[in-house]
Amino acid sequence: MALQRHLLKRAVEGQSQYRHLWRRSSSSSSSSVSPSVCASPPELPPFNYEPKPYKGPSADEVLQKRKKYLGPSLFYYYQKPLNIVEGKMQYLFDENGKRYLDAFAGIVTVSCGHCHPEVLNAILEQSKLLQHATTIYLHHAIADFAEELASKMPGNLKVVYFVNSGTEANELAMLMARLYSGNLGMISLRNAYHGGSSGTIGLTALNTWKYSIPQGEIHHVVNPDPYRGIFGSNASCYAKDVQDHIDYGTSGKVAGFIAETIQGVGGAVELAPGYLKLVYDIVRKAGGVCIADEVQTGFGRTGSHYWGFETQGVIPDIVTMAKGIGNGLPLGAVVTTPEIANVMAQKIQFNTFGGNPVCSSGGLAVLRVLDKEKRQEHCADVGSHLIGRLRALQERHEIIGDVRGRGLMVGIELVTDRKEKIAAKAGNCSFV
Amino acid sequence: MQRVVPRALSEIHCRLRRRCFSQVAQIKTAIQENDVVVPKMPTFDYTPPPYAGPSASEILKKRNEFLSPCVFHLYSKPLNLVAGKMQYLFDENGRRYLDAFGGIATICCGHCHPDIVDALVNQMNRLQHSTVLYLNHAIADFAEALASKLPGDLKVVFFTNSGTEANELALMIARLYTGCHDIISLRNAYHGNAAGTMGSTAQRNYKFNIVQTGVHHAQNPDQYRGVFGSEGVKYAKDVQDIIDYGTCGRVAGFISEAIQGVGGILELAPGYLPAVYSSVKEAGGLCIADEVQSGFARTGSHFWGFEAHGVVPDIVTMAKGIGNGVPIGAIVTTPEIAKVLSYHGYLNTFGGNPVCTAGGLAVLRVIEKEKLQQNAFVVGSYLKEQLTSLMEKHQIIGDVRGRGLMLGVELVTDRQLKTPAKVETLHIMDQMKEMGVLVGKGGFHGNVFRITPPLCFTVEDADFLVGVMDYTMSKM
Repeated sequence: MALQRHLLKRAVEGQSQYRHLWRRSSSSSSSSVSPSVCASPPELPPFNYEPKPYKGPSADEVLQKRKKYLGPSLFYYYQKPLNIVEGKMQYLFDENGKRYLDAFAGIVTVSCGHCHPEVLNAILEQSKLLQHATTIYLHHAIADFAEELASKMPGNLKVVYFVNSGTEANELAMLMARLYSGNLGMISLRNAYHGGSSGTIGLTALNTWKYSIPQGEIHHVVNPDPYRGIFGSNASCYAKDVQDHIDYGTSGKVAGFIAETIQGVGGAVELAPGYLKLVYDIVRKAGGVCIADEVQTGFGRTGSHYWGFETQGVIPDIVTMAKGIGNGLPLGAVVTTPEIANVMAQKIQFNTFGGNPVCSSGGLAVLRVLDKEKRQEHCADVGSHLIGRLRALQERHEIIGDVRGRGLMVGIELVTDRKEKIAAKAGNCSFV
Repeated sequence: MQRVVPRALSEIHCRLRRRCFSQVAQIKTAIQENDVVVPKMPTFDYTPPPYAGPSASEILKKRNEFLSPCVFHLYSKPLNLVAGKMQYLFDENGRRYLDAFGGIATICCGHCHPDIVDALVNQMNRLQHSTVLYLNHAIADFAEALASKLPGDLKVVFFTNSGTEANELALMIARLYTGCHDIISLRNAYHGNAAGTMGSTAQRNYKFNIVQTGVHHAQNPDQYRGVFGSEGVKYAKDVQDIIDYGTCGRVAGFISEAIQGVGGILELAPGYLPAVYSSVKEAGGLCIADEVQSGFARTGSHFWGFEAHGVVPDIVTMAKGIGNGVPIGAIVTTPEIAKVLSYHGYLNTFGGNPVCTAGGLAVLRVIEKEKLQQNAFVVGSYLKEQLTSLMEKHQIIGDVRGRGLMLGVELVTDRQLKTPAKVETLHIMDQMKEMGVLVGKGGFHGNVFRITPPLCFTVEDADFLVGVMDYTMSKM
């Protein structure tokens, strides 16, 4: 997965002639590419910004310290890892001031742009005033942010819990599902990623990210993967697997179902159309709640909709979010209905940092920037253009097995054989 | 490792003791003469900018509508705090309060400490987030500085975003490293609220009715209410019994706070940890020290709470004070133990981001530069003595305990039976707030004042706190 992301990044980074072709073809409205290959490599679009001079440790020094103090499990990209010292909007700068097009956004996290002036202003001002006091006292930032976030939700989804990460959000969602339903079994999709803590590791269904610890009462169903799935895009065939798990693998009652609409870590795999509608129905009939993991797909990224689940025409019972919610701030949230939220009222579920004034101010600024700068529309426009260009590339390069995604959540799958779909794994990624 | 009681400090300490006794004498005299001595807030040269935002009642309305029903607030008339500076907080009317709770033992250097704000602002202006997939010096520099504060072979750091995440990771590592599942924690402990940590948390108010496997709760070495008083070794036998009778004889690990925070500032009985660590290691388990509240110089005598017990854990977890309020947590362990996570992937997207690690590094520097550990020791000892003197005056004070600037005052309606004075605690807490002092509340019965201020707390602040507590108790 990491390799695929790496290769996607390379593909759109403009290390070859494609950028040049993009500029040429963007002047016409056609998305087809001239068959001829240009001689000179494409150039980065111009950008009126100079990074500050960097006087800190070099890449080698940083790498040495990382190896010594951050443990062997901390991996990184590229054989020669990049020392990224500054960011501005969609660009990153290394220690030598070289500019890079950031097509990965800190793993789908920087939604408005690195150091976006409005978000920056909000967090700087708040940091000088009050960083932290906790919710045992009142503060307007958390309340204002919760209100505005709730206003982005359909249906009766309007009670917000603030946490510090996607993992914490999914942990909480799973807890609520079990408490509300009184049942134990959770269902998630093969190839899903929902977090790295002991509870969410169970929901995560990719062996690279799982450890050998007990993860009881979790059922992983067949992934409705239009590219590699056995049923192609036939949602009802995949949905039957969920029914089978419930009928044969549980008491007939489950706690809940969780899914990303477009699997992020799993390789930008968009669920077969119509899948969620069928499954939500099955799960609810079995007493379970439906959880939409919007950690990567949320906040307008898919272009066509604000939330990924909206692309499948469903309304979940619980929505979890993180990453793009704060443009990089350590912030996560869970939104649910008042009825489900009430199950938490019997005891204390306290999050010390959750909803702190700085992160809440930042989160609110993000929502406003996304609206003001019409980012969702922008994702739809640029995203469909990008997908169009990549599909054209696919016609020219056998190694591109599939181009998929929506808005600015795009995946390019590389294969050595298009029919057999053999993954083209060997590459420059240092994590293999 | 970093026990600091130099001679100069013990001289200051003596002077304070003399001052302390004379002040108590003054207060006693004043009350005896039926003079109402209303304590005065120490002066502070700072005015927050005027507040033009929503009022307390508007915020409360939104909270009730849009936030989870388990988000509670202190006080019958909740406080709208809009600004902070060092050890003080300000409400919507610009009124100043002495923050003796520190945002729950989190603000260690002081609200909006200039050095830390500078570090955060500089980094925010440069790069907020990119993840560890790329290099950045901030995470490496902070990891190095943090590791240098730990004894033994504890030098590999993992960054998370909270104490819960840190403890979750520690428990998972212990289980992976040992190949065993059973974890032992203490009754009355608090370690977090996610699936794994909720299991090791052992207070029913914080536990939900969900499956929490493989956890055993041992008898709490509670010096105030425990059956063996302060005889740590006697409590330790319960851990051995759990291993012998409740497990296959091998365990994944043992986790404890050196001073239970949420549990009401209960310092583990002396001799307990060395005995338990020995049992656990013999059973192949790892010893985890939860330093989320007791770490970062708060206990004054040492940098870490576990150091006061003469042990070296296998994993140390931390959060709260580590960042003076920025959302960051961490665990530190040995290179050998750290290897277990290299067999598969583990990535924390926000963990170790440049802003939070720049903040963390600034915190370590401020603690050193401003000698906050010494201050915690000196002011904390003084404060504890003052509170102990108050105990002689007010029957309602059942116990005064703690270390440095992590202190607890337990209120009881009957000293012998130790009946928790729950209602009175709430009332006094409210009254103290009216007079300008914010303390916290904890303990299983909710009858313990938790005093965990920013470590820049002064002697004058201590006097004010004690004065206000004395005054409100006298008025009851």
